[in-house]
Amino acid sequence: MLLVHPVHELVRELPLLIGGLVLGSTTGNQSWTVAVLALTAVVGVARWFTTSYRIDADPESGQVQLRAGLLHRKVLSVPRNRIRSVQTDARLLHRLLGLAVLRVSTGQQASAEHGFVLDAVRVDQVPRLRAILLTGSPQPVEAATAEPAATSTVLARWQPSWLRYSPLSLSGLLTMGAAAGLIYQSGAVGPLQHSRLAESAMEAGRRLGVPTTVAVIAAVLLVVSVLLAVLRSLLTYANLVLWRRADVLHLRHGLLRLREHTYDMSRLRGGTLRQPLLVRAFGGAGLDAVMTGVHGAGESSVLLPPCPRSTAESVLTGLVGDPNVVTGPLRGHGRRAAARRWTRALGAPVLIGVGLAVVTLLEGTSVVPLWLWPAWVAATAWCALLAADRVGALGHRVDSRWLVMRAGSWERRRDCLATAGIIGWTVRQSPFQRRAGVATLVAATAAGIKRYRLIDVPEDQVWAVAAQASPWVADSIWAIR
Amino acid sequence: MVGGILDDVDNREPSPAVVGMVDPAHPPSRRAPLRWAIGGLVPWLLLAAGQAVWIGFDRRLMWLHIAIAVVTLLGATISLVVVPLWRYRVHRWEIGPQAVYTRTGWLVQERRIAPISRVQTVDTYRGPLDRLFGLANITVTTASSAGAVHIAALDVAVADHLVAQLTDIAAIGAEDAT
Repeated sequence: MLLVHPVHELVRELPLLIGGLVLGSTTGNQSWTVAVLALTAVVGVARWFTTSYRIDADPESGQVQLRAGLLHRKVLSVPRNRIRSVQTDARLLHRLLGLAVLRVSTGQQASAEHGFVLDAVRVDQVPRLRAILLTGSPQPVEAATAEPAATSTVLARWQPSWLRYSPLSLSGLLTMGAAAGLIYQSGAVGPLQHSRLAESAMEAGRRLGVPTTVAVIAAVLLVVSVLLAVLRSLLTYANLVLWRRADVLHLRHGLLRLREHTYDMSRLRGGTLRQPLLVRAFGGAGLDAVMTGVHGAGESSVLLPPCPRSTAESVLTGLVGDPNVVTGPLRGHGRRAAARRWTRALGAPVLIGVGLAVVTLLEGTSVVPLWLWPAWVAATAWCALLAADRVGALGHRVDSRWLVMRAGSWERRRDCLATAGIIGWTVRQSPFQRRAGVATLVAATAAGIKRYRLIDVPEDQVWAVAAQASPWVADSIWAIR
Repeated sequence: MVGGILDDVDNREPSPAVVGMVDPAHPPSRRAPLRWAIGGLVPWLLLAAGQAVWIGFDRRLMWLHIAIAVVTLLGATISLVVVPLWRYRVHRWEIGPQAVYTRTGWLVQERRIAPISRVQTVDTYRGPLDRLFGLANITVTTASSAGAVHIAALDVAVADHLVAQLTDIAAIGAEDAT
């Protein structure tokens, strides 16, 4: 356990270390390097000695306390009854040493330095800690983390075939962008520009001509991005197991870096089926948890990465308990909402088309290149398809227990939200919406992404939806029946 | 029920569906438009001052000066006259036995309702201009960042009474409220 801190300290102090190395080799006195190394190791060890945690016995009013810091002492206290979820995370080094990082989440916005993190506790202690922290009962649960025990139900298991959805995400491109930015910032571009490699590449480019070069670069980018996306998905989500034991939901995934999340089911307020266009085209869907105390966006709320749609739907049905909520038909938003989708999608292309036509008429065909017209037709057709898809997606379904919202084409989502978790309604109307007689309904909740929007509901239905979901709206003194 | 077929499905007496909501009853303070007008004018005055300095140093692009002056004048008039009066017509608030309900905005209008049982904090805010005109703004927060209800530009006496009333009904801290 003592090893993790010095080694991580080394990684963290890498610039200093390099500085020490450079100083050592330029002055010819290697003691500089040794001194820096020793200092980092001492700081790392001291960090371990100065960190301690305490869990009060009383689950209701007791606190979990973490004291840490070498020069800058800090004490973090979390009331035990406010703990919403417990995550563990084990990087490669942690795993080799049989350790894990335990992260306690309370639902407040917790940044990296303010979060409650126990770095490096022994893996065999984790189930006990987890049980104590989440349920308030200190009796040890049998090693639930090793493998889902017989008393729990496995909801989903990762299949290698799930990888077929990952090339369709943008994560590969984003990774490449980040890498390019890093290389650029490190100043490696200057020397590279004049290297032999760059010159031979330029030479090859000149021989092939512009269109071929562009095509080759695009193809290379595509292949690399697909490979990176698949690799990233494999590293992050391989070995994923989602299982449920009584009222606690466990999720574990990761090939090298093992992550484990534990969610209290009583905090679950629903789920979101996410179907980006390309994933949807191949019959896939991802599942996010809508939960209080867990960030709605990003990795912390992911229950299932893109996987076959039937898997995601059956898991959500199991959590929600009502198949109609997950797959049932929705009520559309009518003609005026559809018209607004069309004008929004086609407004810009039509204006550009008119502009092009006017310029062609006034200045002759020489100004507007001929290839622009097929491109314009293709772009307009694409926008029209998106609009049609959006119109088809838009809809809702409401009863006294669940509010279901579906919208979007490029990033389609179906949000299933428990009405008990809704703690506010907003009806918003822009001038255009007032003219069209529609309104945006926003359900506010403490869970997930906090605001769940239902766009362009007909004006005369908007409060009916809110009233059906929330009895306190229906029974309020303002309701017209 | 007339049909009879549906009776097998749902035996409860169906409560009539809600078709809409009455607007909340109370307008903000009578001094609110004045406060909004002055608050809205300040940025335009700063812009005008900057322009005056610019004219003092550089008189070459006269058409540009005139164009910017026209835009400034137009913007100042809108935020001095149109916006405050429009806002005053839209803004309404009311506290019911179970919920807080407001209507706000001018171009984009919002109605927001939150249950008092889920209220977490009741905050009062008074900026320099608010204090000059004897006004106060109230923010009623719930556990959702999307659910905070703002009641703007109330008379201080009304605001104080309202805060007391809200904290009374809400019994803040009694439960988890998420």
